Amino acid sequence: MDISIAAEKLFSLFGFPVTNAFFWTIAVSLTLSLIALFSRSKFQDIPRGFQNIVEAVFESLLALVDSVMKDRVQTARFFPLIATLFLFVLFSNWLGLLPGMGTIGMKADHGGEATLIPFLRSGSADLNTTIALSLIVVFTIQAAGIIALGLRGYAKKFFISPFHKPYVIGTFVGLLELLGEATKILSFSFRLFGNIFAGEVLLTVMLHLVPYVLPLPFLLFEIFVGFIQAFVFAMLTLVFLKMAMLPHEEHAS
Amino acid sequence: MEALHNLGIDGKLLLAQVINFLILLFVLRRFAYRPILAFLESRTARIEQGIKDADLAREKLLEIEKKEQATLVSAQKEARDIITRAEEAAKKRSEAHEKSASEKAKKFLEDARAEIEEEKRKSLSEIQNEVASLIALSTEKVLREKADSEKGPATRFLD
Repeated sequence: MDISIAAEKLFSLFGFPVTNAFFWTIAVSLTLSLIALFSRSKFQDIPRGFQNIVEAVFESLLALVDSVMKDRVQTARFFPLIATLFLFVLFSNWLGLLPGMGTIGMKADHGGEATLIPFLRSGSADLNTTIALSLIVVFTIQAAGIIALGLRGYAKKFFISPFHKPYVIGTFVGLLELLGEATKILSFSFRLFGNIFAGEVLLTVMLHLVPYVLPLPFLLFEIFVGFIQAFVFAMLTLVFLKMAMLPHEEHAS
Repeated sequence: MEALHNLGIDGKLLLAQVINFLILLFVLRRFAYRPILAFLESRTARIEQGIKDADLAREKLLEIEKKEQATLVSAQKEARDIITRAEEAAKKRSEAHEKSASEKAKKFLEDARAEIEEEKRKSLSEIQNEVASLIALSTEKVLREKADSEKGPATRFLD
């Protein structure tokens, strides 16, 4: 049993290290794209079978985004990002629960001792993926805030004059908020990575301790966690976007 | 840098993941969200329109039924009115007819009676005249005969 925080390299492609996690994020992307192309051409007025699932997911995500944004235009603008985040993270999380995770792989020589490099690894259990997502999310949040309020209006949220009502406290809180924006990258990426990686480690350990029956409740639990983490990721993005677009409240003096 | 490496963070992979997600976002937006959203919206609009149309049609139908009923009732009433009016008129006319007929008959009768009376009187007076002339004639005749028989049988009778 080998546990590696870093995703293991499967092979190199023109000097690009293809890790197992990267490979499977590409697979998830392709799957989602194919589902998109497939479902689009098959859509009919009266929903049937697969279309029902797509529509149900669509409608509930749309209702979720709308419930936070409370604005049709903003909903339409940010729905693609939120929905893609949710679906991508959800599929990545659940992919890591497939049989063979952490068990099927190839032997590799690692510092003199033979280790197993598993083929299957969830994209969410790789910091590269989660940090990439967080960077996109945080960048989008800043851009949305600046577009909605203007550079000056958005900056007012963080740089507060120490000569008005809450005085130095206000200034301090503003700087903390600025720091908070930066730490969002860390919190987003490590929350997702930590949860999914921990789940995979937990399942691997359980599997090595008691191979039969006992891992099942944990597997169910990880399915739940996978959903919750995807939901949290999308929901936090949504809420932060909404908050970034709200103007700074002038404290009534 | 060592820490980043230990966590498996790799600049190339990170960039690749960013690009991967952006491509996925673009593909889904282009091929899934936009068309499906448009599809759902148009279907919602169509369903709303359909329900509205159905409601409108039902309302109109009710209205038409009510109107029909009202028309029927008013038509019946009118028909009844026309019939009663016609009956009344007919009755009045026949009464008038009867009255005038009886009056005419009466007048006719009276006229006839008057004429008869006249005729009677005329003929009576004529008869009187005739009789008078006859009497006069016969008297003359008798007288003459008597005068003639003064010397004859006639005198016998005068005795």
